[in-house]
Amino acid sequence: MSELDIVGKSYPQIDGLQKAMGKTKFVTDLILPGMLYGRTLRSPYPHAKIKNIDTSRASALAGVKAVVTYADTPGIKFGPRSEDWTIFAADKARFHGDEVAAVAAIDEDTAEEALELIEVEYEALPFVTDPLEAMQPGAPLVHDDKPLNIAAEFSVEAGDVDRAFDDSHIIYEERYYTNQVYQAYMEPMAALADVDLSGRITLWTGTQIPNMMRMTYAKALGVSPDNIRVIVPDYGGAFGAKMENNIHLVAAILAQKARTPVKLVNTRYDDFIAGNPRVPMYIDIKLGATKEGVLTAKEVKVVGSAGARLVYSMVIVATACYRVDSLYRFKHVRSKGYTVYTHTVPTACFRGFGNSQMTFVLESALDMIADQLNIDPAEIRIKNGVGPNETSIHGWKINSSGLKDCVIQATQKVDWQKKRQKKETLKGIGLACCNHVSGNRPFAREFDGGAGIVRVGRDGRVTVYHGESDMGQGQKTTFAQIAAERLGVPLQMVHVADVDTDISPFGLGSFATRGTLMGGNGVLAAAEDAFRQLAEIAAEILEARVEDIECRQGKFFVDGSPERSLPFQEVAAQATFARHGAPVVGTGFYKPPTVLPDPETKYGNISPAYPFACQVAEVEVDPNTGQVTVTNFVAAHDVGRAINPMATEGQIRGGVAQGLGWTLMEDMAYENGKIINPDFVDYIVPSALDVPDIKPILVEPVEPNGPYGAKGIGEPALNPTMAAITNAIYNATGIRVKNLPVSPEKLLSALKQKEPAD
Amino acid sequence: MRVPINITVNGDEYHLEVKPNRVLLDVLREDLGLTGTKKGCGLGKCGACTILLDGRPVHSCLLLAAHADRREITTIEGIATEEPHPLQVAFVEKGAVQCGFCTPGMINAAKALLDNNPDPDEAEIKSAIAGNLCRCTGYNQIISAIQSCTPSKSDRRAAERGKSNE
Amino acid sequence: MRIRSFDYWEAPSLDDALTELEISGADAKVIAGGTDLVLNMKKKKILPRRIISLHNLKELDFVRAQNSEIHIGALSRHADIADHPLLKTHLPILCEAVGLIGSWQIRNVGTIGGNICNASPAADSIPPLMALDAQLILASKTAEKKISLDSFFTGPGETVLENGQILKEIVIELPKQRSAGCYLKLRRRKAVDVSLAGVAFQAEAESDGTRLAKVAVALGSVAPTPIRVPDAEAVLTGLPIAEAMTKISDCARIAAQTASPIDDVRASASYRRTIVDVFLQQCAQKALGALKNGGGN
Repeated sequence: MSELDIVGKSYPQIDGLQKAMGKTKFVTDLILPGMLYGRTLRSPYPHAKIKNIDTSRASALAGVKAVVTYADTPGIKFGPRSEDWTIFAADKARFHGDEVAAVAAIDEDTAEEALELIEVEYEALPFVTDPLEAMQPGAPLVHDDKPLNIAAEFSVEAGDVDRAFDDSHIIYEERYYTNQVYQAYMEPMAALADVDLSGRITLWTGTQIPNMMRMTYAKALGVSPDNIRVIVPDYGGAFGAKMENNIHLVAAILAQKARTPVKLVNTRYDDFIAGNPRVPMYIDIKLGATKEGVLTAKEVKVVGSAGARLVYSMVIVATACYRVDSLYRFKHVRSKGYTVYTHTVPTACFRGFGNSQMTFVLESALDMIADQLNIDPAEIRIKNGVGPNETSIHGWKINSSGLKDCVIQATQKVDWQKKRQKKETLKGIGLACCNHVSGNRPFAREFDGGAGIVRVGRDGRVTVYHGESDMGQGQKTTFAQIAAERLGVPLQMVHVADVDTDISPFGLGSFATRGTLMGGNGVLAAAEDAFRQLAEIAAEILEARVEDIECRQGKFFVDGSPERSLPFQEVAAQATFARHGAPVVGTGFYKPPTVLPDPETKYGNISPAYPFACQVAEVEVDPNTGQVTVTNFVAAHDVGRAINPMATEGQIRGGVAQGLGWTLMEDMAYENGKIINPDFVDYIVPSALDVPDIKPILVEPVEPNGPYGAKGIGEPALNPTMAAITNAIYNATGIRVKNLPVSPEKLLSALKQKEPAD
Repeated sequence: MRVPINITVNGDEYHLEVKPNRVLLDVLREDLGLTGTKKGCGLGKCGACTILLDGRPVHSCLLLAAHADRREITTIEGIATEEPHPLQVAFVEKGAVQCGFCTPGMINAAKALLDNNPDPDEAEIKSAIAGNLCRCTGYNQIISAIQSCTPSKSDRRAAERGKSNE
Repeated sequence: MRIRSFDYWEAPSLDDALTELEISGADAKVIAGGTDLVLNMKKKKILPRRIISLHNLKELDFVRAQNSEIHIGALSRHADIADHPLLKTHLPILCEAVGLIGSWQIRNVGTIGGNICNASPAADSIPPLMALDAQLILASKTAEKKISLDSFFTGPGETVLENGQILKEIVIELPKQRSAGCYLKLRRRKAVDVSLAGVAFQAEAESDGTRLAKVAVALGSVAPTPIRVPDAEAVLTGLPIAEAMTKISDCARIAAQTASPIDDVRASASYRRTIVDVFLQQCAQKALGALKNGGGN
């Protein structure tokens, strides 16, 4: 570890001061000359025929420059992985919030006033919001071509599940429900679109997938992908939500019609009802184990709501079905997943991507089994946990695994043994583990991996270009640290450019906890290339062989003779002169050793690395109100290597806080097909008083496939949190929470029922 | 109709004529180009729009611009002097800034706290920022950053470090 | 979130405000801090054509002791009330409750007059004020009228305020003997939430300190308006303190039965009722316990 100068150190975020001083321009801060402000008219019905739209009064309002509907679009059906989207509802609105029309005007107030002047004639239709109901014969269809509203099915099976259950000493079977929650990033979705004279569209937006979305939108707009340029400014959080959404396309259509830039910002209400919240799931689990606590078989059925159109819910349901199979040494598994259309807001990615939902369920089930077998929950994890250099049942090649260490260190930190023995009424301690990926080959499609460009200026200024996305998680700084380490320069010399698809590599984006590993390896490869080019010049000047050239702390030298050194800036200058001005540009890419899984068996190594974690929660339950307080929390995470420990810890804390919110207070509630709490008054997220002091532990087994050994942290930070808390509640009260979020009322009622027995 | 207002923002005096139905947040961002103050919800529930009105933190999205007349407003752009404000430095050094969208409002609330109560305990810090939502950090590092700007926390931490080195 | 345009006029004095209000009639709405009104305008729930702003009326921003009463100007801000030394000394239940309103940012702008006149059944300032037998001074161009807070509310968001009338002042008689009170608020998280159920309990001992001279129970968020519960109060009034403490659960049960909460996305009616019982017991224990041990104010 002491070999590294920059990586592994807790540098402050390179863009942190700008943000703290209010100088950073977020998407919603951007202004272009001649810019108009857009607003979207949304369906007030969960399901309705659109019989007529009259925009004449809106168009006539002074200050309105464009009013658009489906008729102003190419009318192409498209979707990120499906063809069930249109930009604006065509003949039918399929959820409360569906985009029906939009306006661009000289200011937001005028745009909003114009919305009120658009007359839409609807014919309300029957609707269904629960996925189990939607699958029943006779349920209203969301899309006519999908019987029983089943958008997708997923199956995977390995081993001999029925035999294994027969051989089990104990079987636990139960149904769980994980509800729909909202990412609640602080900056709403927004897009600024401009169209040039040739019809080329430039989109400034906070997106996790600048390139993947271009591919989708090209189809929607009937243009070639390179006719869409995406520029990603700083943006205020995403947690999975900011992938494809009609907001970008609506902005583009408005800009096309108005022939001037249009900025479209979701009101918070828009964002609640037409964002991309988490896929709610019914999960049935059947889990078997031997008397000693060795897991035998697992069977799950997942039913998840897609909402009114498919974003990524079918991949999320699939992930829920089988990602956990590589957390423990399962030999016999069977999973079935249904992605079901409902007349609700389209659901999509949220930190964890199905693995968080299933981890909650599996870790709850395992806790029950441990309890019944009278085996320590920590011990049962260690007994079953996948270790280093193992291949899991689906062919996932786990190189590094710090799972065991995570369990040991987390339980040590929290005095687990003592607390489990000393049982205090209404106080409890619980733990949960998770696995995750650092990239998801089948999700990436044409290829997976990362690439980078590292440009070294005449004066030694280093600029890194990448194709992923910094949504606030600190990716820029991570990439800067990697580049600085490889080049051997102080961090202050390295800058990271905003992603601009005209210039940046074709990155797949930030999802599946892939940014650090894929993007980081791409940047590393590019830095390697740039270093080699500079080393050639340095070798000439220092009269040495290229292979013997090193650079550290901004000085080039010959290995073994550090006293003869050249400043990095000097070498950069000489390199530029030698090339007569052609810049030193290193490019490189990372090709991960992964495969597309077999379409039938799903077998195949989908990620170059797999992070693991163990989290422990301590809770107190108020016997009078049923309310739960998380009094202590420890989170041990196998991150391979933390490029920036402070930033990694920040991600862990943020993930745990979100998990705490999901478990104790967050719920998108529906009534009559509408979300009835589309605001921060009644959609409750944790405040500073709700989150305890979380103690992160970084476990660093150094992953061979990671840049400087790094894996990732984003999603594992959240995955175990829900079960850690509900396992602690079980420890405190003997009550098993099977539905998220915990209802104080239900807990109170259950506590009262238990009273006579205690 | 327009309402004439005289406001001092970050020490600069402005004489503006605003429509009465405008809120201060929009006037700051749109008329004065001070985009450091953010709009997270527009309904006084997230705190991203927090500015200091005569030194007190308020939701600028719920304040009529007309009500800012003759008042002193401090936005995030105005708390630094020649150097960034110690809170700004602390937030960055303690990793309290991730996406940064809540940060201006959060720092303003923290500044108002420390201006009135230079040595708050942890409960007082949490209460002061209870109206500022953050979705990225889980608040822990924000609290550490604020604590590091108080006399006792920084001393206590130094003392603890000293002890652990023995 | 567009606020429909309106005419705006800032009142330089209360007298001017009342004159203007008289002239404007039903078209005009007064604004104090605006945290409720601006929100309601953004949500299109209230669309006034004319706004008369009272926000600079310093003459209505005060807390003072007068004879054996405390007078609070309607434009006193929550933050100032929560921290006011006079109130902390004599009427701490009010400080406790007002300190729980919204966020610090809201409390720096919102006024007690606004909280009362907005008349949300969930308002935090009202149950303690009711428990303190607060009276309101309503002013119009022609007259001033004093009424009990109890009689001010007619329904959710509705009051007896007539056109041309402004809430000017809140008057609370200082407890004659040692008193103690407590306010508890049910929330969905540990800070910054509307009240799902609010319970205020205030008790005053007799001069010899052994019996309860006065007991007040007031509830918020569990009826169309905040309410007093005389039936619950009657269970404890007049009893020796120690004996009263054995009857707390009866008192709480009656209060819970009297409440008429609704089911909504925030909480179920039955949970709210349960919590009224629980909180009232906790509040009463605390307050009576303090009185019994010679504490209180």
